[in-house]
Amino acid sequence: KPGARGGAKTIIEPHRHPGTFIARGKEDMLVTRNLTPGEAVYGEKRISTEVTSQPGETNGEVAPATKIEYRVWNPFRSKLAAGILGGIDEIFMKPGSKVLYLGAASGTSVSHVSDIVGPDGTVFAVEFSHRSGRDLINMATHRPNIIPIIEDARHPLKYRFLVSMVDCIFADVAQPDQARIVAMNAHLFLKTGGGILISIKANCIDSTAPPEQVFAREVVKLREERMKPREQITLEPFERDHAMVACVYNKF
Amino acid sequence: MSKIDFLLHESAVGYAIFKVNMQADAIGNRLKEAEDTAEELSLFGKMVEVVGFAPFQGAAHALENANDLSEGIVSDYLRTVLETNLPKASSKHKLVLGVYDKNLANGIKTAFDYVECETRETSEIVAGLLRGLRLHAEKLLKQLQEGDLERAQLGLGHAYSRAKVKFNVEKNDRHIT
Repeated sequence: KPGARGGAKTIIEPHRHPGTFIARGKEDMLVTRNLTPGEAVYGEKRISTEVTSQPGETNGEVAPATKIEYRVWNPFRSKLAAGILGGIDEIFMKPGSKVLYLGAASGTSVSHVSDIVGPDGTVFAVEFSHRSGRDLINMATHRPNIIPIIEDARHPLKYRFLVSMVDCIFADVAQPDQARIVAMNAHLFLKTGGGILISIKANCIDSTAPPEQVFAREVVKLREERMKPREQITLEPFERDHAMVACVYNKF
Repeated sequence: MSKIDFLLHESAVGYAIFKVNMQADAIGNRLKEAEDTAEELSLFGKMVEVVGFAPFQGAAHALENANDLSEGIVSDYLRTVLETNLPKASSKHKLVLGVYDKNLANGIKTAFDYVECETRETSEIVAGLLRGLRLHAEKLLKQLQEGDLERAQLGLGHAYSRAKVKFNVEKNDRHIT
């Protein structure tokens, strides 16, 4: 098969953000370590490398080469991947983190977040649409660190008994009142000092105003809800007129 | 500002009633010190104490209660839990119970004439205390073992969401027209 195959030639290097990696082959790609080796979630490419980690052999036997599989993360399909490749400073999630993911859709990006947080972490994936919710539930059956929640993120009280305190909220809801939606969820579920990542699509908030103005207005709204914006990056060239804003939640 | 006597904590494992021993005053609630107290288990553990914990009996029971909770209905089980764990008081000298949902609060108020409810909207103290409970309840409830809550959340999350989309495991998909 053409493309990014041939694990021997590809070298995996850890990325700056724990849990994500860069595969250096013919071209460089963002990858995450597959939680369910041998399984692709949405037909994405997988790269497996053989690790001959222990050079010192035991009892004269060579230690069996363990295979580690990585899944390629396409920044054109995932805003979080676009944000990471766009050089965002902090993604607030790492192995072991609890993440509340608003706007999970079919769960393609969620599966990569589930790779990042690993078996000790948890992803609470909220999606309102029943159509994509089915795919989300299906995907979650193979990955026990994902808790699928088919509910409206506007009414966080409706799923309050399913969610614990989380370290990070990722929001990709593309609604005009998304700042309010994120704020309500943060007040309920986000630890003090926890992180918030919001992808803002200018068109979804106000299609008449210039994007920069829309982003600036959204940042003001976030600040009013006790979320301190840390940085804002554009998702160009992967998405047009999108920005990603990283905030820290402070109650005082 | 009335004193909060009890708190109702709902989770995937069951209901828990906590008694409030100490509470921050309304004005200082947003200060950093108050925030630190809620974050620190050893300090927060002195502010509240477990009165009763009522686990759900199995997955079906949990789902039933979860559906009622999300609609703000006081289920029969919740009613018995409140009845057994709250001390009887007169309707003149009411108990104050902190809850999440204002619909649920109304339901409880009608069911118990000696209970007054405060929600997150009406009282910032309740909001702060409930946040503290969400952070620490797993450790405060001694009956729970490590990982119990995660397993319950996973099971209930799937059951609740499947019921929402009428998703059937055996048939994989069933379209509703």
